[in-house]
Amino acid sequence: MANFSIFFFTSILLLPLLCQSFSTANPTDKRILVLLDDLAIKSSHSIFFKSLQQRGFKLDFKLADDPKISLHRYGQYLYDGLILFSPSINKFGGSFDLASVLEFVDSGHDLILAADSSASDLIREIANECGADFDEDSSAMVIDHTSYAVSNSEGDHTLIASDDFINSNVILGSKMIEAPVLFKGIGHTLNPVNSQVLKVLSASSSAYSANPETKFTSPPSLTGSRISLVSVVQARNNARILISGSLDLFSNRLFRSGVQMAGSLTKYPKSGNEQFATELSKWVFHERGHLKAVNVRHNKVGETDEPAMYRINDDLEYFVEIYEWSGTSWEPYVSDDVQVQFYMMSPYVLKTISADQKGLYYTSFKVPDVYGVFQFKVEYHRLGYTSLNLAKQIPVRPFRHNEYERFLTAAFPYYGSSFSTMAGFFVFTIIYLYNK
Amino acid sequence: MARNIVIVFLASILFFCFSSISICNATSSIFNPVSFEHRSAALELFSATDGSFTSLEETYEALRTFQILGVEKKAEISPVACPLVVETLTSPSSNPEKLFNALRVQQILKCGVDADLFEGVASKLEAVIKDASSLLDFYHSVGSLVLIKNEVPESNIVLGDADSTFHSIKALSQSDGRWRYGYSGAESSTYAAGLALEALAGVVSLASSELDESMIVTVKNDIRKLFDSLEKYDDGSFYFDEKVVDTAEHQNALSTTSSVVRGITSFSAVTPGKIDIPGDKILGLAKFFLGIEVPGTAKDLFNQIDSLACLENNRVSIPLIISLPAIVLSLSRKDLLKVQVKTVLGSDAPPVTVKLVQAYKTSAKETPVLENQELKFDPKSSIHHLDLLPLGIDIGNYIFVFRVLLQDPGQKQIYATGGQTHIPVYVTGFITVDSAEIAVLDNDLGSIETKKELDLSKENILSLSANHLQKLRLSFQLTSPLGHLFKPHQVFLKLRHVTEVEHIFVVGNSGKRFEIILDFLGLVEKFYYLSGRYEMQLTVGDSAMENSFIRGLGQVELDLPEAPEKATRPPPQPVDPYTRYGPKEEIMHIFRAPEKRPPQELSLIFLGLTVVPFLLFLVGLLRLGVNLKNFPTSAIPATFAFLFHAGLGAVLSLYLLFWLKLDLFTTLKALGFLGVFLFFVGHRTLSHLASTAAKLKAA
Amino acid sequence: MAKLSSSSSTTSDAKALFQTLRSAYSATPINLKIIDLYVIFAILTALIQVVYMALVGSFPFNSFLSGVLSCVGTAVLAVCLRIQVNKENKEFKDLPPERAFADFVLCNLVLHLVIMNFLG
Repeated sequence: MANFSIFFFTSILLLPLLCQSFSTANPTDKRILVLLDDLAIKSSHSIFFKSLQQRGFKLDFKLADDPKISLHRYGQYLYDGLILFSPSINKFGGSFDLASVLEFVDSGHDLILAADSSASDLIREIANECGADFDEDSSAMVIDHTSYAVSNSEGDHTLIASDDFINSNVILGSKMIEAPVLFKGIGHTLNPVNSQVLKVLSASSSAYSANPETKFTSPPSLTGSRISLVSVVQARNNARILISGSLDLFSNRLFRSGVQMAGSLTKYPKSGNEQFATELSKWVFHERGHLKAVNVRHNKVGETDEPAMYRINDDLEYFVEIYEWSGTSWEPYVSDDVQVQFYMMSPYVLKTISADQKGLYYTSFKVPDVYGVFQFKVEYHRLGYTSLNLAKQIPVRPFRHNEYERFLTAAFPYYGSSFSTMAGFFVFTIIYLYNK
Repeated sequence: MARNIVIVFLASILFFCFSSISICNATSSIFNPVSFEHRSAALELFSATDGSFTSLEETYEALRTFQILGVEKKAEISPVACPLVVETLTSPSSNPEKLFNALRVQQILKCGVDADLFEGVASKLEAVIKDASSLLDFYHSVGSLVLIKNEVPESNIVLGDADSTFHSIKALSQSDGRWRYGYSGAESSTYAAGLALEALAGVVSLASSELDESMIVTVKNDIRKLFDSLEKYDDGSFYFDEKVVDTAEHQNALSTTSSVVRGITSFSAVTPGKIDIPGDKILGLAKFFLGIEVPGTAKDLFNQIDSLACLENNRVSIPLIISLPAIVLSLSRKDLLKVQVKTVLGSDAPPVTVKLVQAYKTSAKETPVLENQELKFDPKSSIHHLDLLPLGIDIGNYIFVFRVLLQDPGQKQIYATGGQTHIPVYVTGFITVDSAEIAVLDNDLGSIETKKELDLSKENILSLSANHLQKLRLSFQLTSPLGHLFKPHQVFLKLRHVTEVEHIFVVGNSGKRFEIILDFLGLVEKFYYLSGRYEMQLTVGDSAMENSFIRGLGQVELDLPEAPEKATRPPPQPVDPYTRYGPKEEIMHIFRAPEKRPPQELSLIFLGLTVVPFLLFLVGLLRLGVNLKNFPTSAIPATFAFLFHAGLGAVLSLYLLFWLKLDLFTTLKALGFLGVFLFFVGHRTLSHLASTAAKLKAA
Repeated sequence: MAKLSSSSSTTSDAKALFQTLRSAYSATPINLKIIDLYVIFAILTALIQVVYMALVGSFPFNSFLSGVLSCVGTAVLAVCLRIQVNKENKEFKDLPPERAFADFVLCNLVLHLVIMNFLG
């Protein structure tokens, strides 16, 4: 009995260790739940899944209406990421529903969502909650008569080729995507006020979202390059969401297909889909662009330990180390636009800090001659990178009464007069006492 | 005006309903036979490091796929696989499944194996069959025996009691055509049915004498019942599927359907007479396999290719696939309508005629444009073609209905050609745009204030201006290549304000003439009362147009009235994300300027000046004629006096030191000591002086 | 002629006044004269400092106050001493002059300590 209780207690002590094992110390998700509405997708999109598996992810394939799917057990999440390749699902199986998906994302996990022309209301609602509004017309598809993919087997211009990528090496990789990306599906717009959602692949200015078989008299609500074909969301808790209006974009057929854009004579033997999807999945699962800032310290020039308070007009040094997760390890992040602010109600000093090759950022500046409680603020928000928000408080005091300048040349007459008075007093005492 | 819009709206809804229904009924997708893409996929998926695969089963799948697709890889795989085959065949612990896989590999690779090894294996298998109780055991052992019989045709391998074996396998069947895996409590599946049919076919071929005719008929009935559970996709393909019990072990639709296809083709190959399955269903199964195009996994590719190979030459009916290499035909390039009829693996079909039964526009199903055209056959390229130009087909989206007729009517039982196949065809061409003009009209009278011609083949940079009492009219004419009216799917006029607020209008038409009149008086509220420069852009596009365009027309300077208090604000426009993120401007704190100091020389001069009064004091004292006569003469008072002044001097020097470097506390401590000393000494001196003065006074 | 005489009379009156003052002053005992000289010296120093401050401004203000206060303070203390030591003041008849001097010395020492602290 005693043995059992000992065992029980030690296992409870180990629980926090288990909880920590998939925390921000190791941000790449490894276990991913893939929900499909047709198991044939496992085969027809096998190149994409294989690329994920080759990078070390454990994919768990399930039908979306399987009653046994669940995201968490006993309060702990079973998966680190979710891929929803089930556009036509009306109701998830098991305890899965819209709220649980949103809760999953809110707890910092990543999501890839693909819709297509058969997208159900549930999928549209999930995308809506994430910031992407699909076209309300459920029969609409994105059509583009000047930027479609020339094909012998598709003639209604719903298979479009787009090369309007977001200009970001973090999100799409440093290698430029030469060939356009093939897309066939529905389009969405992004709320302009939402600052966390980004258009990764936009439609061209002649694109519109409508039913290809019917004529219309009122203009469609989604037109032009406002239509986003693929968007990403970088949430404030650093969860990343990818929303694509086309499930076919990830399919083997479009990965292997060649591309010729309408009106252009260049024939690319392989579309940009595979590179696009692979690089995006790397970004979504935090293999790129995930920063952490550690080891913030500051001290007066010439000293090594952190003082509790600075005096105005002191010279101080500020150090911070920033690392980027490379998928397997933390690599130093070197950039020339990290800035630190010395802030009290408004920034008094804003300086760009420079790094050495090991990711250690250093700067030094003079404390302003205003006293109060300041903060060292590093607010680093860059397209595609997780945001860094560091703040360290430090008070700044004015001069002590004995820290002012002394022995000024300008005050020499006053010094002279004081001492001359003292000398005169001394002489006076002698003369006065002994004069007859 | 409003009523017209309602009518058009309702009509478009009706059209939508009709077109959707028609699509549901028509078999209108395109299926292409096996092509070189399958070959390259096979090479990619069945890639093995130095010729070895993980198991004999996988080796067999790779070899069979390569064999069907004509890829030569035997030389690579043999050296690794053959020893494994021999080892499996010789090992006494190999179960029927391992033997089956080894023999299948052997069938393709033809490794050097002794005939007596086969004999030994055969006798072992016969023993297994006698005691077999599960479907898989039957399947593997019967299958292995068939393979051995094919390897060594001289040997007389027969099944001793074929009837009872047949019965035992048949006993596992169910009333709905499916088979169970075992006798007690095992689950049933369609996949098992396929395996059972293959096993039964093997038994029939191994039987020494004719089997009971009634049993064969019962199995044929079972097959018919099995086909009742055939499922259908919208595009006309048929397949078998199982209920998903466990995702990991689930046999997907492809493997289930392939198993059934293998079963029925092998059964029909060994039994006399026909199995009563309509050719359309076989064609549907073939379409299912072809509809997958290139599968993503090795096993799926094997199942697909193997099933298609079974269908290529089977005794039920051989499907013939009609396909179009291109469904987009360009009138400007004078494309011909080309049709191919081939078997599922891409080989040539028997002589057929292809007839175009009907061709109609998707928007006008009731009025066919073409009827009963026969396509000409080109034997060199084995393509049936038709020239559409002289037939007067205009651009648009069509549905072409084809029918394949066998030239030899006797072959109707052998081949399945399907009935009418509906295939969507897009005929494209250049649209002529002319008489384009844009005008600003004055109110209802329609008097033209400005009118400008437009050339819509290039960008225009017109500059117009209008106020809210005027109207803007844009008009142009669109003609199809054959001179008919053409209404593109997309005809938009977009006005974009400098603040990026956009408004889009659909340009309506009456006949060939497209015209839109923007009445600014009614649009003032829609435009959020924003005056200023608007860029105009016209987009015309359609799937049948080869020259869809998006053209800037120029600018119009709109003068709208002021927005009233309650007017809606224009919607917020998206912010360029690149400006949202980025380093901010640097801020350097400007320190308070230090006080202006006087020049050093001035301070030094005044330092000198302040010392001057002291000197004057000394001079004045001398002028007064002071003396030190009152200094005490006797020793002790003199010492005390001296000490007193020395002490004073010391205190003043202490003060100087304090000013220079000491802090208050040390000074006060020292001052304490000095003060006490000074007090004592001073008291003595002064009392002495007082007593001396009193003495003088008394005297 | 009358104006000249009036002006000359005023000047001669002034001269006469001045002469009377001078002779009266010379009758003061010498120790008081020493004190007077000391006071003049202190005030003169203070004036020079004020002139300097007027020229260059009051930075550093503490040094200026310190310097001026030392002069003015010591002058005030000397005046107190003169009052107490002057034999013609009936109120201080009973106060021994040595005692007054001791007070003067003590107060000056304290004054100079304060000045040194504030001088900066």
